[in-house]
This record gives sequence, structure tokens and C-alpha cells, in this order.
Amino acid sequence: MTQTRAVEAWTLRPLERFVAEAGARLTLLMTPAGQVLAQHGFTRAVDVMSAAALGAAIVASSGELATMLRQKQFSALNHQGVEHGIFLGAFDTPRGRLLALVVYGPDSSVGLVQLFFEEFVTELAAAAPAEERGKAVLAADFERELNESLATLFGQ
Amino acid sequence: MTTRFRRALDNVTRVRGVRGAMLVAGDDGLIVAESLMEGVRGNAVAALAASLHKRFRQSMDAGAAGAPHFLHLQGDGGTLIVVPAPDGILVVAVGDPNMNVGLVRLEMLRAAEGLT
Amino acid sequence: MSLVNFTTREITCKIVYYGPGRSGKTTNLQYIYGRVPDDRRGRMVSLATQTDRTLFFDFLPLELGSISGFTTRFQLYTVPGQVYYNATRKLVLQGADGVVFVADSQARQLEENVESLQNLQENLLAQGADARGMPFVLQYNKQDLPQDLVLSKEELDDALNFWGVPSFSAAALAGTGVFETLKAASELVLRKLSQEEPV
Repeated sequence: MTQTRAVEAWTLRPLERFVAEAGARLTLLMTPAGQVLAQHGFTRAVDVMSAAALGAAIVASSGELATMLRQKQFSALNHQGVEHGIFLGAFDTPRGRLLALVVYGPDSSVGLVQLFFEEFVTELAAAAPAEERGKAVLAADFERELNESLATLFGQ
Repeated sequence: MTTRFRRALDNVTRVRGVRGAMLVAGDDGLIVAESLMEGVRGNAVAALAASLHKRFRQSMDAGAAGAPHFLHLQGDGGTLIVVPAPDGILVVAVGDPNMNVGLVRLEMLRAAEGLT
Repeated sequence: MSLVNFTTREITCKIVYYGPGRSGKTTNLQYIYGRVPDDRRGRMVSLATQTDRTLFFDFLPLELGSISGFTTRFQLYTVPGQVYYNATRKLVLQGADGVVFVADSQARQLEENVESLQNLQENLLAQGADARGMPFVLQYNKQDLPQDLVLSKEELDDALNFWGVPSFSAAALAGTGVFETLKAASELVLRKLSQEEPV
């Protein structure tokens, strides 16, 4: 089942609206380091992370090319495939710079995605809380649980 | 914009009541060439008109009615017309509700033919 | 920078395996990938050249499970070791929560190790990251080669470990030291997260 899920709740409503209007098959909202804030259409968290890492890498490498050409960063990139297109957009919010990776099929178009992406960015900027960092989160004895988790992972 | 595209669009926008005309890539919904009055959201019209055309084409296919030659949407505040041209290009025009649709259609068909 | 979500109680951390070309960074990830159950790992992504040299990065997402009530995920990356790929190394290093430096223990590779370590410091500084404050672990790989070809752990500590960070002997092809290295890096990353001052 296709699902929309937000790690950060403020992103959910704008994402749902964008997906419905642009006809996107898959959408990821992430930080420039590839950390996912929200997703639509992916089912396994780990596949999401691979897609986010690759999307963030494309944006980062094209950004470096822009720097080498002494021009402003690309705000959007589009890769047109036979069946699907991939749209990558970068934008600023009070939460910091974010990236969106959008996969669309023949029932949508890059024009539609671009059109509703502008609204998506505006809605996200309005909904975003200021950057939040530095809360102590883990219990002091987290090592025991970490050791158990790693032992399970490695079958030890 | 090439002279050929400009001429094709100028003949459409010359008709009284037309607020703008565009050549749009049907698959992408992106503008290829445009001649628009201020206030017309070209990108939005192009993307949505291309999407509409795609849906209508699918509907007509499903009804075994062939491909649409002409879409005409009439609203309280204006008119939208789409005419498919060769190579997946769409000629799109927006105008006042009372513009001469027959004349606009004729010029749009000519524009479409001129793109071959 | 780690992503912590208090509503859904999720933590995602990024650990980068750094080091000179052919030191065994990709081998570390391949070994981990081979040992971790299917449901706890994603697909390993390798952007490599035709000769299997890392071109951009390798990427392996891991699900650690619940730690302190948080679903914890680690993203493991490698950088391309070859000197001329510095631009891509910088990109992969962005937002790293911790670094594993994989050194090649062969005596003749010492200079490459030193250069790569210096390059790491430069790239971290360029990003405004303080290398000394970053969770950092050293791994001396290829210790399974004949002893006359490799430097000992003590010798490598003297040459490379000037900050006194945790260091491990390893033979990544056989898996020796791979788990210990990842465990130490994970602990440092999560400890840093647990010690950060509340806002």
C-alpha cells in the first residue's frame, strides 16, 4: 500500500497536498546530508535511505559544479526517463536547507511537478519551526542496548 | 523564440480578446514558446492544460473516439483552448469569455499546421 | 548531523569510513552487509568505476533496533580514497556524525595514510567541523599480511593516533576487527548525542 509518512509532523500536510496535486509516485523530503524528514510511496525505511543518499549526492555534486562555474546553486534538476522522471529541488526553510526528490510517472509531467513544487516550498516554509538541536535524548546506559543490538546484527 | 514560433503565436494573439498563446510540450507540460499578457500564469496554464489534454486523450481512447482535435473550456471569467500540433506540441490559448472562439480556433489550427 | 525525532522516537546517524585508496573501506561495508540479517539492512549502494574502485561512495543503511526507546538507524558511507576524488570526499563528509579512518597497515603505505588523515582534517575544517570534537575511530587494516610488510598497532598509533582515539587492528576481508570498529564508532556517536546540552 502506498503510504505517506513524516518523521517531522509539520511536513505531512504540505507533502500530502503536493503528492495529490502533482500526481507524484514517490516523494522524499530530506536534509542535504540525506536524512529523511518525510516520505511518500516507499514502504521499507532502508530503501528510503538509499534513495535519499543518492538524491542528496546528485544535488551535492551538481551544486559543486555550479560553484566551479561560479554560478548560483541549481534550484531544481530533472532527469527524464522513458517511464518515470525524477525531479530534485533544493530550497531554504526556517528549519534549514531541504531537498525534495520526486518520482513521477506518465500520468504527471515535469511541468505539473514544478508548478505544485513552488506551492509545496511555500507551504513548508510557512509550516517549518526554527531549527531544533541539542536535546539530550539517550539514557546514560544506552551502551548495553547498543551492544545487544550490534550483537544481534552480527549474529554474535 | 524562433521567428516561426513567434509568427504562429502572433496570429493567435492578434484576435481580439485573446490574453495569451503558448506552444507547450505535451508530455512535459513545459512552455516551448509564449506570447502572454501580464498576469497570465503561463507555467501553470501550460502544465495544467497539458495534463488536461492527456486525460482527455485517454478518455477518448477508452471510448474508441480517436484523438482529440480541439479542447474548448468555457468559464465565467475566461476561455481556454487547446489544439494538438505535430510532434507532441500543443497550441494553447487563453482569453476573455466573449472572444471569437471560431476565429481563435482557425488561427490555432493554422499555427499547428505551420509547425510541421 | 544526526536526525532525532521526538514524536516518532527515531534517531538516524551518519558514519563515514575515510582513508587512502585500497585501504579496505568498501571491504568493511561489504563484510557488514554480508553478516547483517536481511530485515536489518537496506541494499548496499556502490557507485564504483568499472574496476570496482569507489567513484563516489558506498552506502549501507542499518537498522539497529530500539535504543533508549528510540528506533535507531545508522547510515554507513565510504569515500573514494584516490587522491583526485577530493571534491566527492568533501560531499560525502557533509553532515557526518562520526568518522572511521581505515588505514592500510603496510609499511610502504604509511605516507598515504598520513596524507589521507591530513586531508580528512582539512575537509572537516573546511566544513566548520572540529575534528577533535568529532566521534573518531582508527582502524589498522590488513594486519593479516606477513609481519615484515606491516607496521604493528603500536607503530601505527605512534604515527597516526595523535589524539589518542580508540584504534583497532583489523583484517577486514576476514571480518577481524570490523565489528569492534563499528561498535566503537557507534558508541562514540550515540554518547555524543546523549551528552549534548538540552536547548
